[in-house]
Amino acid sequence: MLAAIRPAGQDFPVLLHIVGATIVFGALLASATSLALARGEIRLLRLGYFSLLFVALPGMALMWGAGQWIYHKQGWNKLPSNVKDVDWLTIGFVVGDYGGLFFIAALIVGGIGILRLRNGKSDGGLLKLTMVMALVLAVAYVVAVWAMTGKPTGASAAPAPGPGANAPTTTAVSVAATEFRFTLSKQSVPHGKVVFTLSNKGKIPHDFSIDGKTSTIVSPGKTTTLTVRLGAGKFLYLCTVPGHAQAGMKGTLIVR
Amino acid sequence: MSYVDWIFALHLLTAATLVGGFVMSWIVVVALRTANTPDATLSLNRVARVGTVVIVVGLLGTIALGIWTAILRPELHPWHGWAIAAIVLWGIAAAAVLRSFVEYAKPLAKARELIASGLTGPSDELTALNRTSTGLLLRGLASAAIVLIVIDMIYKPGA
Repeated sequence: MLAAIRPAGQDFPVLLHIVGATIVFGALLASATSLALARGEIRLLRLGYFSLLFVALPGMALMWGAGQWIYHKQGWNKLPSNVKDVDWLTIGFVVGDYGGLFFIAALIVGGIGILRLRNGKSDGGLLKLTMVMALVLAVAYVVAVWAMTGKPTGASAAPAPGPGANAPTTTAVSVAATEFRFTLSKQSVPHGKVVFTLSNKGKIPHDFSIDGKTSTIVSPGKTTTLTVRLGAGKFLYLCTVPGHAQAGMKGTLIVR
Repeated sequence: MSYVDWIFALHLLTAATLVGGFVMSWIVVVALRTANTPDATLSLNRVARVGTVVIVVGLLGTIALGIWTAILRPELHPWHGWAIAAIVLWGIAAAAVLRSFVEYAKPLAKARELIASGLTGPSDELTALNRTSTGLLLRGLASAAIVLIVIDMIYKPGA
């Protein structure tokens, strides 16, 4: 179920971003494996290095370029300066940008190793270092994929239910989204599982986020659900599409 | 992250593993086409074995966690058209890639046979087996099915 339903026009850059990322991941695995299993064999040492140079490098360019495209298309670049990027996006940038620099360092180290091999100085030490760097990058990519898909956020500041609280229940709440406000069928719900049904009655895409959980982005006329378990307290809800919450798509739900 | 989020994230991680495994296998398949000696064939096969494990883990994890995700998330259902299309494509990819493993096992067996006979130089027969068109076709078919799954999952036609 690779990705959530998103507004039209963002699918193609997402496709390119995913294809680029998986090319990089596969090439890193191939490179690290070839270099680890080479046992001094020049064929495998060369395969390991050239997997990085000719497969991972173009994949990284594709992934990075498409990532920037999505970033601008979704309007993350237009966030007010006092608003920080969300955690998962920061993780993606760290892996993409700093990982990219680390990758270039691996290419340089490996390139020197290959040149030394070509000149008959059979020192595989540099290529072993390249192998370790490729492995580190592969692990970093696993973390980035987890962050991009799980979209982890900080813990909720909402208090836990008190000792005398009633048994948790399941409550359905209808949420109508328009430009730029939410209308909830209930302003107060009992603690426990809450199923929000978001209907986009507006003209542009919206989502619904509460307690660190965010629904899929819903196109106009479409509906989605978000199930969240809430303890007693006050919970801020908002639309995470950049600028929408500032424009009024936010509010507080009281959980008894 | 909730339990559902974890299952979804693991599904996507295994999907990335699967596609990564295919990229890895293509690197080896292309390298094999220049291998004409038993030693070269055997050494590339060491890398291919890891790729095989990665692909199998990716195949199993993707389908199991994908169906699990569809059951857990109320807005998704395994009987949606795009989900059925993905499952059918997964079946085609799995069948084709497993059959291609059989094809690429032939040069391995031949290389071992040649070494057992004391022949370590270039062999036309081994080169031909390494350049198997059947294996290439099956790997291409499996890869095309995987690319179509990725497109299907992103565009979700009919969702």
